[in-house]
Amino acid sequence: MAGILIVAEVDAGVLRPEYWELATVARAVSASIPGGVSVAVIGADVAAAAQQAAGIGPDTLHVIDDERLANPWPEAHAAALIQLCGELSPQMVLAPRSILGAEIAARLAVRCGWPLLQDVVQIEATPDGGLQAVRPVSGGAVAATVRIGAGPWVVVPRPRAFAPAAASAVAEITPTRHAFAPPPFATACGTPQRVAVQGLSVDRAKIVVAGGGGLGGPEPFTLLREVAALVGGAVGASRVAVDSGWVQSTMQVGLTGKTIAPDLYIAVGISGAIQHLVGCSSSQVIVAVNSDPAAPIFGIANYGVVGDCKEVMTAFRDTLATRAAQAGRAV
Amino acid sequence: MRAVVCLKQVIDPLTPATSLALDVQDMKIRVRAAAPPVINGFDEQGIEAALRLRETIRELEIVCIAASERFNTDVMKRALAVGADQLILVQDPSLDTWNSYPVAYALAAAIRQIGGADLVLCGRQGSDWDNGLVPYILADLLAMPLLTLAKRVNIADGKRVEIERVLADGSMTMEAALPAIVTVTSELGALRMPSVAARLTAARKQPRQIALADLGAGAPPALAPEVIDLAIPVTGRNCTFIEAADGPGAGVRLAETLLETGAVRLGMER
Ligand SMILES: Cc1cc2nc3c(=O)[nH]c(=O)nc-3n(C[C@H](O)[C@H](O)[C@H](O)COP(=O)(O)OP(=O)(O)OC[C@H]3O[C@@H](n4cnc5c(N)ncnc54)[C@H](O)[C@@H]3O)c2cc1C
Ligand SMILES: Nc1ncnc2c1ncn2[C@@H]1O[C@H](COP(=O)(O)O)[C@@H](O)[C@H]1O
Repeated sequence: MAGILIVAEVDAGVLRPEYWELATVARAVSASIPGGVSVAVIGADVAAAAQQAAGIGPDTLHVIDDERLANPWPEAHAAALIQLCGELSPQMVLAPRSILGAEIAARLAVRCGWPLLQDVVQIEATPDGGLQAVRPVSGGAVAATVRIGAGPWVVVPRPRAFAPAAASAVAEITPTRHAFAPPPFATACGTPQRVAVQGLSVDRAKIVVAGGGGLGGPEPFTLLREVAALVGGAVGASRVAVDSGWVQSTMQVGLTGKTIAPDLYIAVGISGAIQHLVGCSSSQVIVAVNSDPAAPIFGIANYGVVGDCKEVMTAFRDTLATRAAQAGRAV
Repeated sequence: MRAVVCLKQVIDPLTPATSLALDVQDMKIRVRAAAPPVINGFDEQGIEAALRLRETIRELEIVCIAASERFNTDVMKRALAVGADQLILVQDPSLDTWNSYPVAYALAAAIRQIGGADLVLCGRQGSDWDNGLVPYILADLLAMPLLTLAKRVNIADGKRVEIERVLADGSMTMEAALPAIVTVTSELGALRMPSVAARLTAARKQPRQIALADLGAGAPPALAPEVIDLAIPVTGRNCTFIEAADGPGAGVRLAETLLETGAVRLGMER
């Protein structure tokens, strides 16, 4: 019987960053869950990603490498994970809260009849052999503490809630390969159409400049893009900006968008609804620019400017541009 | 052909945290004032998806089903006002729970009792507990394929459902043979406003109430973690307001402040 099985999600050939956070969770509870830490790498052409995943020094590494797993096809990926769990009988499965990861976790939990702990921001093993965890609910307005008895369990930690584990380069481990033997599929999928992101993507950038309903249209996003370019950041958006068709949904920050924790988050014309804040409240420094002094966004901001977003951000951009030019000349 | 849309009655997700009352005896989240509940936003979009399908499939019957401890009938009747043919309310005290299993068991039993569905539409998640689990259990109970996170739903030759699924960085198409379950996401677009004529017809229609006990839903497994505490998290920070004579002045000051504190570093300084 395996102890903890970490799902290492490979997205377009690259190991997803949440993997290192899952490793932190596994290490935190592994003393209470006998059987060691195993890693499952599921996908097509995942040799490089598997090698990278070995960097956390797991006890065993399991690979299902199959052409049918090339796309983020939930049914196929879930079938592979369910197959592995049948072979390994883990006590705890840790999956990332990505679109694919959350889905295969739910499919696994329902199929196997295992309890699912989603979106957890804190977790500990209890003396009676169960788990206790905290997770945001109601869009983040409320924190629920939940408890469950004996496993197996499926656990999906919230992105950015746990520090990423460092790779311990020494790991020499031979992956165990498993032939993919799924039951007949009831769904089929096409090839993903990936939207080209202009500049950096929000979930990788150290600085995010995000715009919301207060921008009034797509044009002011140009200003935000110029600011982002000056500071080496990415442009994000609230759901109102996305739903209005001003920007792509890939830029959405929040409950159903991306969960990010950059060093600096600049929210421009964003009211600060709880479903938005839950996606950005872990940012180190938050700046809010809003014409309404009573906007809730100021409640979680370190710096606030009450004013019109175009006026404020135009002067902000120009000042940064001038200073950047001066700095360039000084060298 | 029949589409069932699952509607969850939830407290208004825009209720500020200060207006929430946490009942840590029953582990329920309630609203302080007598504010009316709403239909879960993603579920409204499920109705919209069904209405769009009926634009081409004229014989499509749209049945909405909701399960709850008690209902605000006026709120739920919005489903009829926008054009649903039937609204079924399954009522039982046990259905006000964060546990997805009893809810899914009730919905599955109701769907069976009305003679099944060709397409079941659900929202991606309820905005109260953010579980997003009911559709998975429902798919298992009804033995239907599940397609999730649709921003577009189409039925081809009356036999297959095709969706455009939202991804973090784009989308992909997915399909399955009917009967199937589809969950919809906000990218699908908002629910249309009811026409005056439709509203008048709807005013005469009544929801059908069914008691859970009459459904023979069966006993759900005890798989949900137990909620042992609820709290409003403290997220506040001390906001330093940048003072200036006007907007442009504030923009300049903001830039200077962020450069001084090192929050922003420019090209060459990095
Ligand atoms: C289940 C669920 C999930 C959700 N998921 C998300 C999510 O992932 N991400 C998300 O963002 N939202 C999400 N929402 C929506 C969320 O509740 C809010 O509706 C949304 O965040 C509001 O966006 P906004 O603040 O940009 O727009 P608005 O609410 O329109 O606010 C605009 C703000 O701009 C200010 N403003 C207006 N004019 C100016 C000006 N000239 N200069 C400066 N400021 C100005 C206004 O004072 C106001 O504060 C979700 C909601 C639900 C129910
Ligand atoms: N009590 C309920 N009544 C009707 N539909 C529900 C109920 N609970 C959940 N659903 C459906 O399942 C979806 C996901 O909800 P949940 O799993 O509770 O987050 C919702 O968007 C609804 O479509």
